[in-house]
Amino acid sequence: MSSVSAARASVEIDASERPVREINGAIRTALAEGTTVAVRSPGARHNLGVALLTPGTVTFGGSVGYYCGGMGDGATVRIDGSAGWGVGEGMLSGTVIVDGNAGNSAAASIRGGTVVIRGDCAARAGISMKGGRLLIAGDAGYMTGFMMQKGFIAIAGNAGDALADSMYEGTIYVAGEIASLGNDAVVEAATEEDQAMLEAAFAEFDLPRPGAFRRITAGRKLWNFETHELETWRAAL
Amino acid sequence: MCGIAGYLSKRDAPEPVGRIMLDMLTSLARRGPDSAGMALFRSEPAHRDACWIRLPETGDAEAHAQRILAGLATVGKVGEVQRHHGLLRVELATVAEPGAIRAAVERGSDEVEVVSLGKQMELVKQVGHPDGLAANIDVDGFRGSHAIGHTRLSTESRVDLTHSQPFWARGIADVATVHNGHITNYHKLRRHYEQRGVRFFSENDSEIIGVYIADKLDGGLSLEGALEASLDELDGSFSYLVASGDAIGFARDPFALKPLITVETDDYVAIANEEIAIRAALGGAGIAHEPSGHVSRVWRRTDSAAPVAVAS
Repeated sequence: MSSVSAARASVEIDASERPVREINGAIRTALAEGTTVAVRSPGARHNLGVALLTPGTVTFGGSVGYYCGGMGDGATVRIDGSAGWGVGEGMLSGTVIVDGNAGNSAAASIRGGTVVIRGDCAARAGISMKGGRLLIAGDAGYMTGFMMQKGFIAIAGNAGDALADSMYEGTIYVAGEIASLGNDAVVEAATEEDQAMLEAAFAEFDLPRPGAFRRITAGRKLWNFETHELETWRAAL
Repeated sequence: MCGIAGYLSKRDAPEPVGRIMLDMLTSLARRGPDSAGMALFRSEPAHRDACWIRLPETGDAEAHAQRILAGLATVGKVGEVQRHHGLLRVELATVAEPGAIRAAVERGSDEVEVVSLGKQMELVKQVGHPDGLAANIDVDGFRGSHAIGHTRLSTESRVDLTHSQPFWARGIADVATVHNGHITNYHKLRRHYEQRGVRFFSENDSEIIGVYIADKLDGGLSLEGALEASLDELDGSFSYLVASGDAIGFARDPFALKPLITVETDDYVAIANEEIAIRAALGGAGIAHEPSGHVSRVWRRTDSAAPVAVAS
């Protein structure tokens, strides 16, 4: 099932017909030995490459299902295809790069590291982010950045409805159109430093150079309950 | 957590859409194996209508069948008749409207229901895992142009044939729906339709989608228009598919609560809750894309160019 190259520098795993737990075990073993991993025929199965806690690179040669790269701490996960719900969710550090599109809740609750989506994201990308970076080269769907707390999301394309709804803190940057803002989201121009930082981040992952960004942050009106702002709360809840 | 799947071939030659749908549903059966079904379409209308009728679960099946056939003989010329477990398939040469055919079959029994009618569509369903579809009904050998399918996790209504999907858009030949989710304004909509004389056969909220689509098409909306209207008029969580004689389409609720993945290549359009079903049935071609919420889209066999996305 696995073939090790002469230099023991890389290992190939054929995912077809193998249980996911066994595939993930083989990936962890290889990474612990300092070996780069290529997984053939992932078949869009769920929970591939979760909880990878050592540095190293694993590449999935096709689409993956739910939670790929989730709970990672230090590994680099490349996906030569699309990803299902919750790609990279709960990551502490490391990198997840999706060549295609991502389903709902990409980079949900990540605390650090970088999630890169070359295509589009469906709904709720970056929901409850607690740190780290989410770079989206395409469009982002409904309620991107919902209840975000820290870190940043950069969207080179367009953003869907209810962008940045009920954010606590953190920053969202959008280069394209914004369909509508969520509750308590505030838009301002990005600074030159922001723009330079974002262009460098996109260049780091060979993404096309993005246009001029706007910056969206929390208006902080939802931080404390105020009776005279009851309507805002009604809308938020 | 039902599984839904759709496939539309862009090729002229017939495709093994029964086998493709079976492979997709088998992959999705983890989401719920309580019942399974599919609506299969041939690209060109047959000379006669295929009428699929659900038989009562109790009593003498042969007597039920004879009574149904006698009813059908009052609205057309009855051709080949087949029994597939709880379903009766009757070929019918008729000029009668679907409503008249339904009346002739369903009159006098609460347990007899026309589950499908049309010259292109064969709608089959059964209780249990999708595997049973190949065993009970020859879907494996069906070649055609497009199909939708369903595998069910029952949450709020009974597990039996009546509550199984797909649901025919009753009254409109060759239109069927499959749904994953929960329509929360079901009771309100059902009361509205019942006051207008629409008969419901199940307690399954998904049944309302077929009724709703039939109503919109009957009112003159296009399939595209009906799907777009549903984004605001149906409440709750829904990813649902519709198939008609020359099209498949999807609608997804504003919150994007239920998964829906599309893959389009030069040869076909495939839709499923999870990409794993598309890869299992069709291999690695095409890039998977999950639309955002409040989106509907229709692909037609007759489209020469890329179809227009409906989003707002």
